[in-house]
Amino acid sequence: MSPLGKNLLKKEDAIINVICLVFAVGILALAAMNISWGAGLSGLLTTDTLFFIVVSVLLASVLLISPLLWLHSQGIIKNPFAAGNDAELAVDTTPVHFEGSTKLFLTVLGALLGLTIIEVILAYFQVSILIMLTLLLSLSIIKAALIVAYFMHLRFERLSLVITLVPALVICICLLFVFFPDSFRSSNMRYKFTPAAPEAETTAPAEESH
Amino acid sequence: MSTVDAHPDQLTATTDWGGGAFPYKVGHRKLGMWLFIISDAMTFSALLIGYSYMRASSAQWPTPFKFSPSILFSTTMTLCLLASSFTMVMAVAASARRDFKKVRLWIMGTMLGGLAFLALHIYEWLHLIEEGLRPFGIAPKTVFAKEWAERWPQAPPLFGATFFAITGLHMFHVLTGVLYLSVIAMRVKRLKHEDVEISGLYWHFVDLVWMFVFPLIYIMSVDMGH
Repeated sequence: MSPLGKNLLKKEDAIINVICLVFAVGILALAAMNISWGAGLSGLLTTDTLFFIVVSVLLASVLLISPLLWLHSQGIIKNPFAAGNDAELAVDTTPVHFEGSTKLFLTVLGALLGLTIIEVILAYFQVSILIMLTLLLSLSIIKAALIVAYFMHLRFERLSLVITLVPALVICICLLFVFFPDSFRSSNMRYKFTPAAPEAETTAPAEESH
Repeated sequence: MSTVDAHPDQLTATTDWGGGAFPYKVGHRKLGMWLFIISDAMTFSALLIGYSYMRASSAQWPTPFKFSPSILFSTTMTLCLLASSFTMVMAVAASARRDFKKVRLWIMGTMLGGLAFLALHIYEWLHLIEEGLRPFGIAPKTVFAKEWAERWPQAPPLFGATFFAITGLHMFHVLTGVLYLSVIAMRVKRLKHEDVEISGLYWHFVDLVWMFVFPLIYIMSVDMGH
């Protein structure tokens, strides 16, 4: 690697580490402020304070990963769980086989834009809500399939990956839909609100309490 | 280098599932991202189905978004995300050629699309909050307070809860995606092609989720009466 490239990588490291460090310190300071305020107002052990502290410590530790890794790569701190030595830093310039061309991606983008415009036109013409829901969902599923197949490259992956991933999601969503008849039932059981007839209000609550 | 980093094609095994092979022909990082995407898709589908459940079981549900400007505004946001998805695909294609300059340029374009989406979305949120929409109800003495009480007297005060929860979680995904892409653009020279591809997977997933949020939250809430 050229010395210029190495300097560039060093600069990138410095920038990203400083950004991460500033954010981590800021978040920890927020947590500390929250502790001092919370202790004064309502005590330390409320759900809100604990939640905020846990979230900020988690965020700060995630942000500290990059600076700590950098310190490790400089040999300043050692990884207590290390098994072997680090892989060498090298720029890999061998081209990788990649399926799909700009033309294909532009076609997919055009199809996605077209389907989006059809959805918006549906909103403009205000068809009945059930027809609209059916059409919107089917269009969205077509769009999702296009994105997954071509943009996310699932079409060019092995079938075994598709078979592992997709059915899990589909079965999960189907199981969620099992609850739906219940929602229609509770909608039908609801007390019918009629503001025009005041005498209905006196009789209806007795019917409902069973 | 350890064997873990070997490319899937370099491994030879007699059967796919007998061990010592990559049965999916993808690296472990990419498989991990796919599994994360599937679990995240389950989270979003649970949220969207929960929203649909509440809407179906309610006597009324507010449909406050006027075609112009609300729906047109969110259509612009959709176009931003679609365009950024395309630039991301071009970045991955450039990465396969190991053209680092192009990769950085296309990823910058992607981040720009994401940031434009975020800016528009935050503007929209501020506008709705100003008009009186709150996570659990409507603020009194606002534009929405009078109109909603007249038009949807039986609606539960959950429109804001579903709207802010679902679009907020999606906005958080876009924000983390932009941060993720900035790291990828900075370090692209020391990353493998697969790592750039994985960041692309995440970005397309964020786009994909919006393809369901946009029709279900926005278009299904278009104002029919006016």
